[in-house]
Order: sequence, then C-alpha cells, then structure tokens
Amino acid sequence: MAKIGVFICHCGENIGAKVDCTKLAAAMGEHPGVAVSVEYKYFCSDPGQESVKRAIRDNNLTGVVVAACSPRMHESTFRKACAEAGLNPYLCEIANIREQCSWVHTDKDQATEKAMDITRSMVEKVKRNNKLQPITVPVTRRALVIGGGIAGIQAALDIANAGQEVVLVEREPTLGGHMAQLSETFPTLDCSQCIMTPRMVEAAQHPKIRLLTYAEIESVDGYIGNFSVRVRMKSRYVDINKCTGCGDCITKCPAKKISSEFDCGLGKRTAIYTPFAQSVPNIPVIDKANCIYFKNGKCKICSKTCQCDAIDFDMQDTFEDLEIGAIVVATGFQVQNNTMYGEYGYGKYPDVINGLQFERFASASGPTAGKILRPSDGAEPKTVVFIQCAGSRDPSKGVRYCSKICCMYTAKHAMLYAHKVHGGKAHIFYMDIRAAGKGYDEFSRRAIEDDEASYLRGRVSKVWQENGKLMVRGVDTLLGRPVEIAADMVVLATAIIAQPDAKEFAKTIGIGYDEYGFYNEAHLKLRPVESSTAGVFLAGACQSPKDIPDSVAQASATASKVLALFSKDMLEREPVVATNNEATCAGCWGCVLACPYNAIEQKDIVDRSGRVIKRVASVNPGLCQGCGTCVTFCRSNSLDLAGFTERQIFAEVMGL
Amino acid sequence: MSIEEQYRTRAKELLSGGAVKMVIGYSKGSNASRRRPLFISSPDDVDRLVLDDACIQNLSGYLVSEGLLSDEKRVAVFLRPEGIRAINILAAESQLDAEQIVVFGFDVIGNEVQALKVIHVEEFSDVINSIKERAPEAAEEELFERIEKMSPKERFSFWQEEFSKCIKCYACRQACPMCYCRRCIVDSNQPQWVNTSSHTLGNFEWNIVRAFHLSGRCVECGNCDRACPVNIPLRLINHRMAEEVLGAFDHFAGTSKTQEPVLASFKKDDSETFIL
Repeated sequence: MAKIGVFICHCGENIGAKVDCTKLAAAMGEHPGVAVSVEYKYFCSDPGQESVKRAIRDNNLTGVVVAACSPRMHESTFRKACAEAGLNPYLCEIANIREQCSWVHTDKDQATEKAMDITRSMVEKVKRNNKLQPITVPVTRRALVIGGGIAGIQAALDIANAGQEVVLVEREPTLGGHMAQLSETFPTLDCSQCIMTPRMVEAAQHPKIRLLTYAEIESVDGYIGNFSVRVRMKSRYVDINKCTGCGDCITKCPAKKISSEFDCGLGKRTAIYTPFAQSVPNIPVIDKANCIYFKNGKCKICSKTCQCDAIDFDMQDTFEDLEIGAIVVATGFQVQNNTMYGEYGYGKYPDVINGLQFERFASASGPTAGKILRPSDGAEPKTVVFIQCAGSRDPSKGVRYCSKICCMYTAKHAMLYAHKVHGGKAHIFYMDIRAAGKGYDEFSRRAIEDDEASYLRGRVSKVWQENGKLMVRGVDTLLGRPVEIAADMVVLATAIIAQPDAKEFAKTIGIGYDEYGFYNEAHLKLRPVESSTAGVFLAGACQSPKDIPDSVAQASATASKVLALFSKDMLEREPVVATNNEATCAGCWGCVLACPYNAIEQKDIVDRSGRVIKRVASVNPGLCQGCGTCVTFCRSNSLDLAGFTERQIFAEVMGL
Repeated sequence: MSIEEQYRTRAKELLSGGAVKMVIGYSKGSNASRRRPLFISSPDDVDRLVLDDACIQNLSGYLVSEGLLSDEKRVAVFLRPEGIRAINILAAESQLDAEQIVVFGFDVIGNEVQALKVIHVEEFSDVINSIKERAPEAAEEELFERIEKMSPKERFSFWQEEFSKCIKCYACRQACPMCYCRRCIVDSNQPQWVNTSSHTLGNFEWNIVRAFHLSGRCVECGNCDRACPVNIPLRLINHRMAEEVLGAFDHFAGTSKTQEPVLASFKKDDSETFIL
C-alpha cells in the first residue's frame, strides 16, 4: 500500500501568490495513496527539510512528492533529505509548480487547478517508482587539457601543481595561443610575452604535464572518469627527440617569403619554422604546403644543414591513445575577418588593419620590432582612427554579441600609440565604452585624459583613399554633426568569434554549443565552467569572449572541478540507465545506431552447446547516460529507462 | 521459353543440386486472378510454380519465419523489386543474412512479366535506384491528391471515418514483412499504450503507431493494404510517410543491405527543413 507524502512549497511569493497552496494540499490529501499532504513557505530551508524527514519517519512514507520549483534546482536537495530519513532517494520526485505554472499564469484558480494536475500526475508516478542504487565507476586520475593558450596553460599548471597528471594538447607547433601575439596587456600595461613565456616554459618542464604540440584530438569516447581519447600527432618532419632547436635550418631555408600566421600576415617566415623566437617547444616544423622539397622534390637544404640528423621527410602522422578522467576544453577563439565591411576597405587598403595586427606592430617581437609603422610605406602614422565594434554588436553584418575586450584594447592601443608616436593623434569611434572590471574604467579614462585620445561617439560610414590619406567619414552623435578625418592608418576593433571548426570539434567531444559556435556551459550562473557533458569543463574564450584575467580565473575554476573529481577513487553515477528486455528484443540494432554514447552493444544468447539462438541489444550501464533515445526508438518496447520507466511515464500521463 | 518455364527449370536445378533447401514462390489460387504462396523443397513440385501478372504478394516476410534460416542453408524466393528492397531492410536490421537468399527476380510492367536477370540481393542496386528515380506513385493518384488538398480538419475526419472500420485484427501486421517483432507494442500491456478495443481512439493509436514504425522502412509492396478485411487505404498512409522521409532525409527504403535506419541515424547534410 502506497503511503505518499506530498509537500507543497510556497517558494515565498513565487508559488504562493498564484497557487492556492492550502487548497492544493487539501486536494492532494484526498488523493488515493497520499498519507501526508502539507504546505510550508520554504521547504528547501533547514526547518523545511527537517519537516520532510520527520514526516517520512513518523508515517513510514513509501514515496515523496515535493511540489515546488524545477527539479534542476532542488531535486538533489530533497533526495538527499529523503536518504537521510532512510528513504531511497529515487522514491522522491519533484512536481514543478513554479516555472510552467505559477510563474506563467495570472489566474489563481486556473493556476491552482494546473498545480493539482501536475502534482497528482507526479504522485501517480512515484507510486510506481523503484528503489535505485547509484552506479559506481572508477576514476582515471589524468586530465586532458585541449588548447595551449593562457587558459589551457593555467588549467594544466593548476592541476599539475596539485599533483595530478595532465596531458596538454596544442594543435599549433607552439604553446602560447593568442596571448603570445599581444604586445602589452590592459589594465597594467605589462608586456604580454614577459608574463606569458615563463608560463609556457613552466608548463613544458613540469614533471606532471605531458606536452603534445602540433597534435589534434581525433576522437573522444567513454564518459566521466573514463574517457578514451585518440590524439593525432601531426608530422612535424622534425624529430622532436633529436632536434636541439639551434635554428640553423630556419636560417638556411630558401623559402623565405611565406606570410607569417603569427604576425597576422604582416611578417614573413620560412617553410621550416617556429612561429616565434620564444616558441615552446623550440622545435621547428616543416610547412608541407610551402616547402620546396615537398613541392618540387628537390632542396633538402634543412636536412643537409642539420647536424643532428633531425629532419625526416618521410615522417607520417602517428596516433596516441590516452586514458583520461577529465577534459578541459580551452580551444580559444579567432578574430573575424573584416572584409564583410566593404565600406571600411579592409583587405583593399593596406593601411586598414585589425586590432590583432596592431598588437603585432606594437609588440617588441613583431615585424617592426615594436615601432608603429603603416604597412603600405613603412611611414610613421601621424593620425590613426580606431573603429570600435567593427563586427561586434552588429546583427546585420557582424555578430550580435559584444566581444567584451575591444573597448579596453582600443584604449590600450591609443595609449601605446601615444607613447610610441609623439605628437600622433588617435581618434576613436565608439558606440559605448564598456570598461567594467578592476581598474578598467580608470584605464580608459587615462587614455582620454593623460594620452589625449579623442573619443567620438558614433559610427563610421565610409573609409576611402584620397591623396595618400585614408579619409574616414563618420558621425559624432554627441555634437550631432558629421566628421571627416584624414588618417594615416585605420584600426578596426574586430569581433571575437568562435574557432571556425568549433562546432565540428564540439561534436567530436560531445558538448553543446550556441548559435555562434561558443561552447555551452551547464548553467550560466551556477555551473559556468562545466559543459553539459559530465567530466568535460570549459576554460577561456571558447565559451564566450573573454579577456586574460577572466580566462585565467575560469581556467583555475576548471582545475578545481577536475581536482574535486580526482579526489575520489570511485565515482557515483545516477542509476538512470536503460535496460533491455532480452526476451522481446527483436535485434534490429536501431538502438545501437541511435545511442549517442555508444553504450549499447550486441550480445549473443547461446544455448547449452554454445549455439547462438538469438542476438539482442545489451546496455552498458557504465556508458549509458540515461538520455532515453533508445527507448523512443525501440519498436517492440523492449528498452526501458530506470527512473523513467514506461509504467511510470504512463501513470504520470494518465494522472493528468 | 517463358519466364515461368525458365524459373521452374532453375528452381528444379537448385533444389535437385541442393543449392537451396526451399523455393518460395506462387501457385494457383482460389480463382483465376488469385495466387497463393507456395513453399517447395522437392524438385518434383516445381511444376506447381506459377508466374504471371497476378503474382503480386511480397513473399519476403516468410524468410524471417522462426528458424527458417538458422541452419544457414539457402532459400530461393520469387521477388518483385519491392521484395528485394524488403530483403535489404531485413538484412540491414540483422533479421537475415542476404547471402542466404537466392532471388528469382521479376517485375510486372503493364500485364507483361519481365525477368530480373541477377540472383544476389546486392546486384539489384541499379534496379532499385531506377525505381527511386521514377518515384513510386500512389496506387490511386487521384484519391491521394484529394487527401493532400484537404485541410487538416477534413483530413482528420477522413481518416477518422476510415479507421472507424478497423476491427483490430492486425492482419496488416501479419502480412507485413517489416512487422517481425516477437512482441508487438500492441501486445505489451504493462503499460497498455495502445488501446486494444476497436473504438476510435484505439484504432487511431494503432494505425498511427504502425505508420511511424514503418516510416523509412516501408517499401510499398501493398501487402497490408490487400490484407485489410475492411479495406482501409493503408497504402496512402505508407506512401505519405515514404514521401516524407525521401523529401526530408533523401532516404529511399531498402537501397542496400547496409542502409542505416532513417530514424536512428544522423547525416550531417540532412536538410533539416522541419527544424525551426
């Protein structure tokens, strides 16, 4: 005989104002099988939980329904309370009478009516709930960090410094990411490379960190605590164990006019190269597409130069299979290509550049050794126009969101320009100055007040070339008049966008992404560093545009999550997994294909002599995530999901 | 030599040589226009085989009879292109091994019976692709178009009337080569998702569930339609679903024995027109 306890929460005014909880409690008290039906202002509070526990003990309840907020919010709270009172936690269910009931209705009678339906339906479900025991799985204490920018390095170092193993994978030949390309960093103007490169070296030399550069993730299988990851080690054509990093091959390489990716096309590199002088590891790669030997079959000058015999033109891609317990995704961002603004002339006029290119000019390791010079003739620009939001906050041509860092780096650019070109004039067209952050607003005020940047609130409509100048026509909306500036250089504060292959990569590792390709966190406020896939965490700009302090903070946060996971020998997993009725299974294998987690295998049923009688599907509870896709696919209804069995769902529907 | 005679000779050869253990074909029926399935395992019986334009039943469903193929011996079967597609689906869904099937392929164009030359299931891909190209037409184009033009409300009442005739005999299921489940969902009673009594709701539930279970799998052989004792135009539902999966996923059921089921597989280039 069922003895169900129904606990109706007012959630303060949230539910109480729109649902007549007294009436609801009385109605549920009348429902067959309900032993206790009570209301309270906040059941999630300590006295609230205590009263639930007391009711369980006093009445020997066989099931509990808490009519309250979303189960996402407090299901675990109340299940824990039930467990403490000796009731199997899976006999507790939440009837959500807040989100889709009290919050969305204005008529109290109708909302109360609906709350009764929702609660009754859950009571009917709970009557058919089974006691479930959590599944325990072992944890592999080794983290994989994908991406060797500042976020990835920080996460790797934090995990490694706590004594756990880390594999740090970077697809470029060197660690560093975008931060290595920057000149000075806001709001303190410390040199980016000076703070970045020691971090890179520390990560590379850390005994607990295994560094795999020029490597890409091929596939990810498994689940939290037990991922199997295959990494493709792209062929460098340079033996990493023999090379000493002397650089002779780079000096001698005859293919010298290849546009440098690191310098954003402003400098040149050779076909055998390291992206920049401080690369970690300091081991070059051969760019196959531009190598004279690979193109014509003749050259091999690097090979002849090398005293260590490290060059191997026959090198092939190899694969590494890793056993991993947790994954930190720190794959970073890209800058948008500004050619979509035909009116700004990016790509047409050489002196219209983007913010990252300006960073390279301002950087001591850049193509001009830190001098601000215009690309067209190498002259020092006397007037520079910066255009903010060149792509961001522009739903028609660019992206809808704010790229977050551009206000700050444009202020920084204006400062650096003022420091490097005395008497130069910086004009900045802006929409708003978004300088929220420690020391940020002070920083942007400094650009205006000390370094005399002229801020013009308005947009630029057109840039064209006239008499060797770039004519910039815009509007100053504060003065309400059009502006025309004859500039020597124009810098576009380009939008941050997701990596071009971000969506593909999300599918490889099985995490969600938004419409722009940024990775989705499990909860924007309460679980901002977890992805929706257990055991996969997000750090840095792959989740949303971020500056360095935010990226580092988020990276450290992921490290704490990984370390918490690694603090246990065994993981407890929700026992919400699918099971198959082998007697009725028709063996069509639709479920095997439908399962997104590869959790369903084929199983042979054999007779005593070992002869196969039939083949059926078999669910691996360690891999099953309880999504229920297989259940909906199964035509013979052989598959069922524990905690959401067909009987429970049917009762729930019929209870409405 | 007529095709009928050719196939009798070949059946005799295969049976007497032991290449196949059984031939499933057609024999004379209760009247001149009807044919009934024939199962012969002796070369002496081949003269009972009949092949003419009245041979319309899809015989592929008999191949999944419990235990028939478990001795790994071969079975020959008379099949029209729809039947060959059905074999492909059954093979794709692991219900049989296509290697075990010897096909006596034929097609009826107008009133004329034509032989399909090859004998192995995988050799028919050209034939199947050509059917896909000419897109199967509904048996009653006119009625089909009339239903297409109806408003959802009219269409609902049309089907309500048709389904009101259903007596839940499940003849459609028994005749269908795709309905091979050992336990059908309608026979599952914990919980009883589909109402067993033949009132409107239960009838709707059954026919809609069947339509969904056949979408992307039905080859439009017409077995269900002909089996229905109360003449519900089931062919129209199946045709609509086939058009739907062809349009939405470019999926034509039964093109190969490795074809993935449309509702369980995912193609990156699906047009996804139905996702808003």
